[in-house]
Amino acid sequence: MATSQVASTDASAAPSLWLERHGDYLYRYALFRLRDPASAEDAVQETLLAAFQAYEGFAGRGSERTWLTGILKHKIVDHFRRASRLTPASQLGDESLEHPELFRPAGNEWAEHWWDDKAPVDWKADPARLCEQAEFWEVFRACLSPLPERVASAFLLREVDGLESAEICEVFQITTNNLWVMLHRARAHLRRCLELNWFRPGLAKRLGR
Amino acid sequence: MGTGLYDKAIHAVRYFLLRRLPTCKQMAPVMSESLERPLTPRERVTLKLHLWVCAWCVWYLENLRTMHSALRARAAHEEEAADEVESAVKLSEEARERIRRALAR
Repeated sequence: MATSQVASTDASAAPSLWLERHGDYLYRYALFRLRDPASAEDAVQETLLAAFQAYEGFAGRGSERTWLTGILKHKIVDHFRRASRLTPASQLGDESLEHPELFRPAGNEWAEHWWDDKAPVDWKADPARLCEQAEFWEVFRACLSPLPERVASAFLLREVDGLESAEICEVFQITTNNLWVMLHRARAHLRRCLELNWFRPGLAKRLGR
Repeated sequence: MGTGLYDKAIHAVRYFLLRRLPTCKQMAPVMSESLERPLTPRERVTLKLHLWVCAWCVWYLENLRTMHSALRARAAHEEEAADEVESAVKLSEEARERIRRALAR
């Protein structure tokens, strides 16, 4: 009797602390993927509510944060699923995201090959160090913003969360070929944008220019 | 003298390949898809040859891989690192209050 009472007070104490302990973390996690503060706040609220109701199921297995993250992941995918039902038109973005201006035009002797001064460069970057730099993620966020909603979301689900193609196609109601086009455009645009706004300035600084 | 001839021959082979192979613009989607699915044998050979003659596309593919690794690294360390790296990104007081009220209901 006494033990069950202790257990139940513990159980009711922990959830009230979740918002304080993990609220900002969950918000950052959601904001990075949803890119809209209001949607991210909603996702945090839905997550904590669901966690509240499912607390018995958690019962102290593993870390609280990991458990809450698992719930949030589902809420984020649900958000994308709802959003893509509301706008059923397939949003693939357009060819400008592939930056055709980086290639020599038709009629040039080397048509469709890179222009010398716009060609990709060696970034001399260490991914592990990049990921620790808040400024890099600011630039990254800014570079994502011109992408159509669905293109950016699909890219993040694939690259950050490593979701399988089939699952992403199901969430956004698109074919695998559509997904590949979207990923190619997202990558081409992000690559160019990061090169111009992060890597080239960084390389110049290191060379003392 | 011998190396000069050798260099010339290599140069000629590269020039020939660059003329005959798909263009950089055509290779870009293939490079992206190489991160998504196993390429067909034909695509694989074409890409290998193209990368042999085109240093720029080598960097292109390398850049895509760097972005991928940085994003995966972010995901792997998110739980511990997010509080330190982006401590400026926080729930607003209003949002916090709204969630608190929703939870109390």
